[in-house]
Amino acid sequence: MTTTILQLLVAGVGTGSIYALIALGFNVVFKSTGAMNFAQGEWVVMGGMISALLFAATSNIGLACALAVVIVIMAGIASERLVIWPLRRPNTLLITLVSIGLAICTRSLVMLVLGKKPVGYPGFSQVSTLVLGGVAVQTQTLWIIGLTLAFLLAMHLFFERSMLGKALRAAAADRDAAAIVGVRVETTVMLSFAIAAFAGALAGAIITPLTLSSYDQGAMFGFKGFSAAMLGGVGSLPGAVVGGLALGLLEAFGSFYISSDFKDAIAFTVLLLILFARPSGLLGRADVIKV
Amino acid sequence: MNLGRRNFLQFMGGTALAATGIQPGWAADEPLRVGSILSVTGPAAFLGEDMKAGLQLAVDEINAAGGIGGRKIAWTFYDAESQTQKAISATRRLISQDKVELILSGGNMSGIALAMAPMAESASIPFISSEGALAIVTPVAERKWVFKSTVDDEDVLERIADYFAKKNIKKVALIADTSGFGQGAVTQMKKVGPRRNLDVAYESFDPADTDMMPQLTRIRDSGAEAIICWTVTPAGVVFLKQAQQLGLDSRTLVHSYGFVSSHYMTLAGDAAKSVLLASLKFPVGDQLPDKDPLKAGILRLFRSYQERFNRAASLYAAESYDAAMLAKEALSKVGGDVSKLPQGMEQVKNFAGMSGVFSFSPERHSGLSKKDIVLINWRDGRFNLADYE
Repeated sequence: MTTTILQLLVAGVGTGSIYALIALGFNVVFKSTGAMNFAQGEWVVMGGMISALLFAATSNIGLACALAVVIVIMAGIASERLVIWPLRRPNTLLITLVSIGLAICTRSLVMLVLGKKPVGYPGFSQVSTLVLGGVAVQTQTLWIIGLTLAFLLAMHLFFERSMLGKALRAAAADRDAAAIVGVRVETTVMLSFAIAAFAGALAGAIITPLTLSSYDQGAMFGFKGFSAAMLGGVGSLPGAVVGGLALGLLEAFGSFYISSDFKDAIAFTVLLLILFARPSGLLGRADVIKV
Repeated sequence: MNLGRRNFLQFMGGTALAATGIQPGWAADEPLRVGSILSVTGPAAFLGEDMKAGLQLAVDEINAAGGIGGRKIAWTFYDAESQTQKAISATRRLISQDKVELILSGGNMSGIALAMAPMAESASIPFISSEGALAIVTPVAERKWVFKSTVDDEDVLERIADYFAKKNIKKVALIADTSGFGQGAVTQMKKVGPRRNLDVAYESFDPADTDMMPQLTRIRDSGAEAIICWTVTPAGVVFLKQAQQLGLDSRTLVHSYGFVSSHYMTLAGDAAKSVLLASLKFPVGDQLPDKDPLKAGILRLFRSYQERFNRAASLYAAESYDAAMLAKEALSKVGGDVSKLPQGMEQVKNFAGMSGVFSFSPERHSGLSKKDIVLINWRDGRFNLADYE
C-alpha cells in the first residue's frame, strides 16, 4: 500500500514539475504584459523536437538539449520582436489573441520543418530505472525533478538578486514609474518572452525521453500549464510550483483511486472548486484595482 | 465562321445542351469519377500519407490495365486535415460539385468515416471505407451503399482470446485510449470477455497522456496476466516503456493492429522486445507459409510500392489499396454499372486482397474475419510472425 502511494507520489511530482515549468512561463509573460501567452505549449514541443533532431545529429544528449533550449529561446525572442513588439497599442486582450495566432503559426512551422512523426531519445542516464524500497523510479523523473528545482532556484535568484530581474519586476509593478527611473520597459517584455521560452524548452527537452514529442502536443501542454498557473495564482512564481505540483498529484491520485476514465475531469473539477473558493488561486493575491 | 457575340453565346449554349442531352448514364469512354478523402495533415497524417500512396498505386495499376470495364479512373483527392468538419464539406463537394460516382477511403479516422457514411448513403453513392469502426457499416439496413475494407475489433479481440486460451491466461487488463478507436474496443471487449471466460479489468488514458504510472500500477496490483493496449497514438510507446519500468514486461503485453508501426517500435527501443501485436498478415507477408493465399499478392505490392515511393509499404497502404481493388472486383460482377456496386460487393467471396481474404454478404458489409489476424513481434529491427493460427 505504501509503495503504491509512493509510486503515485513520484509519478505526480514528475508530471507536476513539467506543469510547473510551463506555468512559470505563463506567469512570467503575464507579469510583464498582463496577458496570457498561448504559444507557451508550442515552445515545449519545439524544445523536445529540436533536441531529438540534434541528438540524431550529434549523439550527445546534453549538448543536443542545451542547444535546443538556446534555439527555442531565440525563437521566443524572435516571436516577441516580430509579433508583439510591432503592436501599436498593445493591450491585454490583443496580446492574448495574437499569442493564439502565434501558437498556430509555430505549430505549423514545427510540422513543416521538423515533420509530423513523433520523436524521442534515450534518458539522460544510462540506467533507466532504479528500484527504491519497492518503488520503480525512472532516473529521468529524477532528472526532471532536479532540473526543475535548479531552474526555479535560478529564477528566484534572478528576480530577487540581479539588477535585470529587479528591473523586470519593477516594470511589471508599474510600467510608467519603471520607465521614469530608467528601466527600458519594452526590453523587459522581450526578456520575459525569452524566460518563458527557456522554461518551455527545458520542460520539452527533459520530458521527451519519457513521453516522446510530436508537433501537435503543444495545445495539451499549454492547457495543462495554464490550468496549473490559474490554480497556483497567476503571476506568482511560487504559485506556479504549487499549482503545477498540485495538478500533477491530483491527476495521479485521482486516476488511481477513482477512475482513469475521469483523470482530467477529476483534476479540473478540483481546479474549479478551488477557484470558486479562491478566485485568485492558491497563492495569488487579489489585485486592488484603483478606480 | 463569323459570329456576333450574341450568336456566339447561343451557339455555345446549344453545344453544351447537345453534349448533355445525348449522354446515357455513362459512356464507355468517359472516365469513372472516383473521389477520396484522407488526412495527410494533422494528427492522423502518418496514416493518411501511406493510405494516399496505396490508393494512388491502385488507381494507376487499374488505369494501366485498361480501367474498370473499359473506363479509366479520374481521381479527385481532398485533404481532411484530421478534422471531421473539413471532411464533411469535402464530401459535399465530391458529391455535388465533382459529381463522383464512387468514394474510396474516409479520412483515415473512424470519426470522419462515420460522418461521411450517412452522406454517401443519402446520395446513393457507393462508399468503400478504409477506416476501422464497425458502426461505419452497421446497421446494414441504413448502410446499403457503405462497405469497409478493414478488420472488426470484435474479430481481433476474439483472435487475442484464442491466443490467451492457448497460453492458459484467464485474467487480463485492457488499457484503451479515450478516442473512438480505443473506446470502441472497450465496448467489444465487454462482449468478447464474458463469452471467452476472461476476467477483464478496464483502464483508459488520454491520447495526449505523458504518464501512465497510476493506471499501470493499478493493473500490476490487480494481478492481470496479460495487458492489451488499444491506441494508434504515441502514448502507446509510453505504455511500453512504463510497463517495462514497472516490471510488467514479464507478463504478456499485446498491442492492437492500430500500433503496427516500425517507427513506434524504434521509439520504444528496448521496451518493444516484450510486446505482441495483433495484426493483419501484411507486415509479415514474406514470412507467411507458402500455402497462404495472401503471400504472392503481398510480395508483389511490397515490390511495386518500394519502386514507386522508395519506402516500405505499410499496413495502412494495403488497406486503402484493398478498398480500390474491392471496388474493381465488385464492378466486374455487375458489368461495370456503378449504381449496382452494392449488389456486386455483396457477391464478393473469398477475394484475396492485401490485408486479408474478403467475403461480403447482404448482412455483413465488413469483409475480413478472425482468420486474417496473426500475432507478430518486433525483433532485429523488423516485424516477425509469432503466432500464425
